[in-house]
Amino acid sequence: MDFFWHTIALLGTLLPSILGHNLIFGKGKILHFGPVGISILSVYATILVLMATQSFTLALLAGLGISLLASLFFAWLSLRLDPDALGVMTIALHLVALSIVLNWSSLTHGALGIPRIPRLPFLDSVFDFALLSFGICILWILFMWRIDRSAFGRQLAALSEHEWHAESLGIDRMKVHCSAFLIAGAGITIVNFIYPQYVMFISPNDYQFPAFVFMVMAIVAGKPGSVLGVTLSTVLLIVLKEALRFVPLAPSILGPVRLILFGLILFGAVYWRRDVLFPQRRSV
Amino acid sequence: MQLIINALIAGSLAALIAGGLSLVYGTLGVFNLALGQMVLIGGYATWWLHQEIHLPLSISIIGGLGVGAILSWATFEICVEPFWKRHRFLPLVTTIALSMILDGIILLLFEERPRAILPGLKDPLNILGANINDAQIGLITITLLLLIGFAYVLHSTPFGRKLRAVVQHPHAAQSLGINAPKLNRLIFILSGMLAACGGIYQGIDQNLTPTLAFPITIKAYAAIIAGGKGHFWGAILCAYLIALLEQLAIGVPWFGGHYISAGYQQTVALLFIVVFLLFKPTGLFVSRTRTA
Repeated sequence: MDFFWHTIALLGTLLPSILGHNLIFGKGKILHFGPVGISILSVYATILVLMATQSFTLALLAGLGISLLASLFFAWLSLRLDPDALGVMTIALHLVALSIVLNWSSLTHGALGIPRIPRLPFLDSVFDFALLSFGICILWILFMWRIDRSAFGRQLAALSEHEWHAESLGIDRMKVHCSAFLIAGAGITIVNFIYPQYVMFISPNDYQFPAFVFMVMAIVAGKPGSVLGVTLSTVLLIVLKEALRFVPLAPSILGPVRLILFGLILFGAVYWRRDVLFPQRRSV
Repeated sequence: MQLIINALIAGSLAALIAGGLSLVYGTLGVFNLALGQMVLIGGYATWWLHQEIHLPLSISIIGGLGVGAILSWATFEICVEPFWKRHRFLPLVTTIALSMILDGIILLLFEERPRAILPGLKDPLNILGANINDAQIGLITITLLLLIGFAYVLHSTPFGRKLRAVVQHPHAAQSLGINAPKLNRLIFILSGMLAACGGIYQGIDQNLTPTLAFPITIKAYAAIIAGGKGHFWGAILCAYLIALLEQLAIGVPWFGGHYISAGYQQTVALLFIVVFLLFKPTGLFVSRTRTA
């Protein structure tokens, strides 16, 4: 039963950021490859303030502030750069953030990470985290679904299809992009407030490029832009990832097998969704 | 002087990889994020042939190049061409998937231990106060010869002219009877062989580890972005420039005698990407398309 609660708890540490990125990458077709870069800034801001002040409120506000500022910066880049340039730029910025965290040992403890992270008083067991995660996930899914169905969601989809036509109809590209990035930033903040308390430890290794690949996998497999589809694919992928721990293989073999399996899943998902991931422009 | 020699060594490796990649990016506009893994597989294949099967080094190198060519051909047929026709950003995601698969295969077959094609200490020579061993001299010389040879083919042969035509304007080239799809395939295979050369170079000069893949990919992309889209010589020059700046960043005392930590060495390539994309996204050398 603990495994079940653990899986639910993990969902809360991943789903908000994945659904937020689904809004940008899945719905908006914006080649933003840096959500994990924003994540690493947000989580270290949150935890460093928490360890310094022992105040969860201040830590949450610090994480939110950094997350929203970084998201606005990436939104500005998305307005300025071509799509493939944006993709490369966001990967580069993610790696710069990672490099700073790894090398600024006096502040971040480098590759060793930060241990002994305190938890909120009411979060004692895996079941408590599972309950909190479940509640957050339901609320976030409803919020994202509402946004998806709203005028804002339609504006984002219109911009992804044809920017000029959408702008000629009065859609403000800057406002829509910034809003999408800010919403995703809020999702990242939630995740980076819960996850470190769950494992009571943060490490730069959890914020490498493979973490972003997992997000892409969930979005592509679940149908880019679909809130319920991405939610379902995230659940299935988390269950698969955790269930693989019980496969009776040596760790030196299990790790590579997992990589190959997830690579095949991603390739299969892209092949299956090749017409939806980056759709052809509609013509009259 | 040692810094310049180090830059020459590191730059030669990056130049081999970035050169081939610039042609692929110039013709197809495709980002191959499995490039680092393709580099490593060329090197690991050579290691296996030389160290495990005990073939002579020259035969092992040919074998490694052959494996690189086959792998890049398979990558093109499976991960690039079927998706590129639908949208040019799809191969970006398929090559991410391929990179995960290749990472897993490398770890399964070769484990995480460093592997050197020519293990053991090499005796350094002292040239103008800088230490360099004969393997490194050989590698730099071969890289320069390869680049000169490629320059001759590219600029002085009919095949090279067709290649340049396809890089400049694939549709116009096709309208003149040049088989652009076939040349695209050939360019991709060529870039794979150059990548395998880079892996062999890395395996001979230092060693091969699975963690090298992504930094190699990023450095290559930094060179092609700084050099300009499809500009072969721009990418080569910027590869050497990035290597030089990396050496200067950590080897020279800055701001009153402080040395920048070696951990920031890879950040130089990343900052190259950031600065160029923000202020000069077309790169240093813009390939102008001729218009009527």
